[in-house]
Amino acid sequence: MAGLHDKEIIKKIKNGEIDFYSYIVKKYTTQIYQYIKAKLFKKEEVDDLVQNVFISFYKAIEKFNEEKPIKPYLFQIVKNELKMYFRSYKKNIPLDEKIVFEDKYEELKIKDIKFLNSQEKVIFEYINEGYSYEEVAKFVKKPLNTVKSIVRRGRLKIKKNL
Amino acid sequence: MKKLEDKIIKKIYRIETEKTIGRIIGEVALISFIILSSVFIFSIIVEILNEQASFDLFDFLRDDFEVIKNNLFNNSLLFIQELPQLLTYILIGLLLLLIWLLYILLKNFSKIKNKLVSLYKFWFK
Repeated sequence: MAGLHDKEIIKKIKNGEIDFYSYIVKKYTTQIYQYIKAKLFKKEEVDDLVQNVFISFYKAIEKFNEEKPIKPYLFQIVKNELKMYFRSYKKNIPLDEKIVFEDKYEELKIKDIKFLNSQEKVIFEYINEGYSYEEVAKFVKKPLNTVKSIVRRGRLKIKKNL
Repeated sequence: MKKLEDKIIKKIYRIETEKTIGRIIGEVALISFIILSSVFIFSIIVEILNEQASFDLFDFLRDDFEVIKNNLFNNSLLFIQELPQLLTYILIGLLLLLIWLLYILLKNFSKIKNKLVSLYKFWFK
């Protein structure tokens, strides 16, 4: 198996001989693992991403042109996976008002935060009371996207200053 | 790293097993359904033709060659006209679909066979 070129391996996999995929996995796992490890820190997540890369490649192998080299294609998948990972990671750890105000800074009141302007304070008060962005937008008579921008800016300020 | 590689390979095999088995079951079910439907529709057509006594149009086939030669075209045309049209079209459609499915199955036969061999080797050896 070791003497086979990538092109032949891909042809064989396309022909249903899926045991040849282990050759690709063995050949590229270390490189991909090192690359992802340099970007992430949690070992379990690195393992998951490496797995996802090989699964995505396997699913796309029917469409893959065997005349082209595998490595750039694999690394393109790696980049996409990393993009998706960071995007979902962002979603998972927003600077949630509740965490900030209820856990670490329990005694802190929004009106006491000096670096927020009055408009931001009003909007954060509403959000803290559990209103949705749409409702807040109606209360302050501003477009939804403006409210979202104000919240984002306010969060950044809180993150920077606390 | 070896552990991770094994994990990836196992996952790939699991995905492929599900895909291949699903595909085989799907195709077999579809082909069986088409065959059963075709047989059912064919039997209805034959029943209708029997009721109409349309098969009598071919009684001349027992006669001399000259009679057969003279009547074959006309009687065949008449027989075709007496066929229940909608059912006939459905039957033709089903048979074409069946031929197409069998063609695809035969075309991919070696690929499916290789996959099954690989899966068998991985899971049972």
